[in-house]
Amino acid sequence: METHDHDHPDVHQKSAAEPAPRYYEIMETAVRELLVEKKLVGPGEISRQIEVLDSRTPALGAKVVARAWVDPEFRARLLANGRTACESEFGISFYDDTKLIVLENTDKIHNLIVCTLCSCYPRPVLGLPPDWYKAKPYRARAVREPRAVLAEFGTDIPEDVEIRVSDSTAMVRYLVLPQRPVGTENFTEEQLAEIVTRDAMIGVVRVNLENRSTP
Amino acid sequence: MNSTENLVKRLPNDIGGLPADRIQQIDHELLPWEKRCHALADVLDFHKIINTEEKRRGVEQLGGEMVGKLTYYERWIVAFAFILFQKAILTPDELAQKMKEVESRYSRSTL
Repeated sequence: METHDHDHPDVHQKSAAEPAPRYYEIMETAVRELLVEKKLVGPGEISRQIEVLDSRTPALGAKVVARAWVDPEFRARLLANGRTACESEFGISFYDDTKLIVLENTDKIHNLIVCTLCSCYPRPVLGLPPDWYKAKPYRARAVREPRAVLAEFGTDIPEDVEIRVSDSTAMVRYLVLPQRPVGTENFTEEQLAEIVTRDAMIGVVRVNLENRSTP
Repeated sequence: MNSTENLVKRLPNDIGGLPADRIQQIDHELLPWEKRCHALADVLDFHKIINTEEKRRGVEQLGGEMVGKLTYYERWIVAFAFILFQKAILTPDELAQKMKEVESRYSRSTL
């Protein structure tokens, strides 16, 4: 083992089966090591942030949604200030220092979120975005023909329901608060959280009972 | 509208509203280096070295061809390198040297 591995034992693990790194991976390693050598970045910082990234999944957002469904006062606080409600009541840190606006779906309004310029996403509550969210077809078309886009996700929104598309920025992120499906009146908060999917919080699908995860 | 005028009005990232293909619901588990690259972006932001908007602009400044041909995190790491050069935090020589060193480390270890 070389000295490199002593410097970053947690970031870099090699095995015999691992293929030789390609150009861009070499660049990533080189940039990171130079920044650590210059003491601009601490040696363990990258691996600590990887742990933070790994701790964020749509399950977190689902808990927030389920709480909003069962607790009208929480829902009001969440809609008034998404970030504060998530921070103070769920202990979710906004490590990227973004504002969170929660958009409520109703019988009259269906919300959809996108980032046309790049891939801005409510990462503190949903984790990293799926590839299709970052790819051209979704970014280009969501703002122009949202109904056609929704149809490709199997979501049919009646003509009398207004579709609102919110375009995220570096500083402002959105989360869709989906409608609670009929037939869940007797569900506990935990059971409700199980049926809330990532795609429902992006707004490309509704929450429905078929989404319920099987044990 | 002539073609160069269109280049000015539509920078590579500005694709909202353009016609595009059907959505393929694709996703992949990030490769270890891609995840490190994402964490690096966050850490650069925490230290106010490169913020999210600078990163976005840095990717855009790679130009249409690179934006079109490089993968998502390939664009990020190249943009970071260019921004760090512009900010005089790294020099191109320094990075080239370090990349050579990293590469030789790997080729030695696979012998």
